[in-house]
Amino acid sequence: MESLAIAYLAAAIGAGLVVIGASIGISRIGAAALEAIGRQPEAGGQLRTSMIIAAALIEGVAFFAAAICLLLVLK
Amino acid sequence: MSFSIDNIKHSEDLSTNSSAVDTVHKEANADVFGEIFATLGDHNGFYIGPHHVCDLPIVLVDNGLHVYFSKSSMLSSGLFTEVDHSIVRTSDGQAPALDLSVTNLVVFQWIAIVFILLVFRNISKKKKLAYNKPPKGFLANVAEKIILYVRDEIVAPNIPYPKIVNSLTFYFVATFIFILVVNILGLLPGGHTATSAIPLTGSLALIAFFVINGAAIKYSGIKSWFKHLLGGAPVGLAPIMVPIEILTLFIKPFSLTIRLFANMTAGHIIILSFLGLLFFFNTYVLATIIVPFSVFLYLLELLVAFIQAFVFTMLVAIYTGQSIGDHVRSEH
Repeated sequence: MESLAIAYLAAAIGAGLVVIGASIGISRIGAAALEAIGRQPEAGGQLRTSMIIAAALIEGVAFFAAAICLLLVLK
Repeated sequence: MSFSIDNIKHSEDLSTNSSAVDTVHKEANADVFGEIFATLGDHNGFYIGPHHVCDLPIVLVDNGLHVYFSKSSMLSSGLFTEVDHSIVRTSDGQAPALDLSVTNLVVFQWIAIVFILLVFRNISKKKKLAYNKPPKGFLANVAEKIILYVRDEIVAPNIPYPKIVNSLTFYFVATFIFILVVNILGLLPGGHTATSAIPLTGSLALIAFFVINGAAIKYSGIKSWFKHLLGGAPVGLAPIMVPIEILTLFIKPFSLTIRLFANMTAGHIIILSFLGLLFFFNTYVLATIIVPFSVFLYLLELLVAFIQAFVFTMLVAIYTGQSIGDHVRSEH
């Protein structure tokens, strides 16, 4: 297999792994936040803010990985 | 769904049947995705959508300052030439030392700045006239809502000293509104997203770096800022903690840069790739799926434009609050 094909394959597999990791993380945050809001509806606003921040942090890490996958394709 | 997949296979069969057509077809296909990245990149001219409006000045620093008013005058001077959309020296084919050209994204950034200045100058005049009274007019009300939201929901919960909150709110309001306007300019038809360029997000993060550390040094003193490098651990752990904490100082703005850049670029790449699939498969049937899905993604990007402006401001506020800590000098 030529090296370009291997790079494309690696980028595709990497992107898939990134999606798995990020979706597990964000879904856990979403589930935990929903449960917490269900228990204490009056703390909803504060919980939503912390949820978005945690999701953004995970997303940041996921984007680092996605950018590396993108670099593999563009190189 | 099954019908459309049949159709894809059909068009693939067609293209493999005749080799002459195949190569032309393949080249056209490659162009679609090549053009996506060319469209997302920066240009040395002012474009609205794909339409070239006017040339922009090219400024190069390479053994002195070279200023050209358009690309054609740069080419006719003979010192620099263009290879694969990038400017290189004619003599040895190397890139110039520093490229300070006014590019498309810079112009869109200027549009955002002028828009914000015009709107807020107008509002601040009105507010001055009606000091201590409710704001008059639609824009003034919207602006007051945004400013109060940034102060009360983003800055105040993270920085526990009202005096510091009041003196730093102007920075957070400016950052929030600037990122929001630039993001939304990129979603208007014909617009280009200036936040999908590393230099812009990088300079925003650089300002954030100075705000985070400047606020810490100003309000809790240089001594406690140095103490912060220990991370609250005993002095014996300094060889481990100090490098980590110094690294953290620079990772924060770096992750701010990458997060905003990647979020704003990713949405565009996804939408353009989906629309590119239409040209790739050359069929109308897919449009029934792809066009509604692109509209959905566009709305998602509109949401992301707001969320990213919020997240950037929020994270800078959290970092500032952390770096100020709870040992603020007594006069504050």
